[in-house]
Amino acid sequence: MQRTFPRSFASLEDIFGFAEAFFAEQKIAQSIRYPVLCAVEELFTNLVKYNPDAPRDILLSMRNNGGRVEVSLTDFDIDEFDVTAERAVDTTAPLGERKVGGLGLHLVRNMVDSLEYDYSDRQSTITFTKEAEEDDV
Amino acid sequence: MFEISYGENGEIVCAGRLDAAQCGKAQAFMDAVTEGGTLDFAALEYISSAGLGVLLKTQKRLVDAGAGLRIVNVNRHIHDVFRYSGFTAIFDIEAAGDRP
Repeated sequence: MQRTFPRSFASLEDIFGFAEAFFAEQKIAQSIRYPVLCAVEELFTNLVKYNPDAPRDILLSMRNNGGRVEVSLTDFDIDEFDVTAERAVDTTAPLGERKVGGLGLHLVRNMVDSLEYDYSDRQSTITFTKEAEEDDV
Repeated sequence: MFEISYGENGEIVCAGRLDAAQCGKAQAFMDAVTEGGTLDFAALEYISSAGLGVLLKTQKRLVDAGAGLRIVNVNRHIHDVFRYSGFTAIFDIEAAGDRP
């Protein structure tokens, strides 16, 4: 399944609806629905925040490959930003030293099984996978 | 859809999905909280990093004032998000089912 979404946080409700329809149609395991939704939100909102003036909508594709969910977000005519690059987030700092923000990509890296980034001709494609556990239904 | 309001016992009740589109509503409510208290997440299905930002900003302000937030009835997935984010060390968190 694939669909484009306007470059706005207001698209999130439609994105969740799209993803939940995919989960239901493909009978995706309940346990991986949350991490997939969260990774999609974090990556989509990242594209919105850092490319607010890009001209085209963002393409979201979701595919079921034998229980493994494969998701890609493609954005057009934007600058390069490698989401797989290591960015230090100190989650052990005491409260007074914690900074608000910067947790989105950290969450994605913890929640998905693989995360890839491709950039060419000013087109960015972020792909991640998430697989259900063997005993998961 | 996200809702936030005071419950019968003065706890702050959150329900639905706290995502980047809803965090402004949550932040506006939390900015008016001046004393420590309990957040009840029994009906909160989902939180992303945008919601974590609301919680962290509020906790920093309240702890500076000598108070703080306790979060109860946290579902398994949200608890995972808290664990990945290090929030289990900076909030008093009670998972769903922990209460007798």
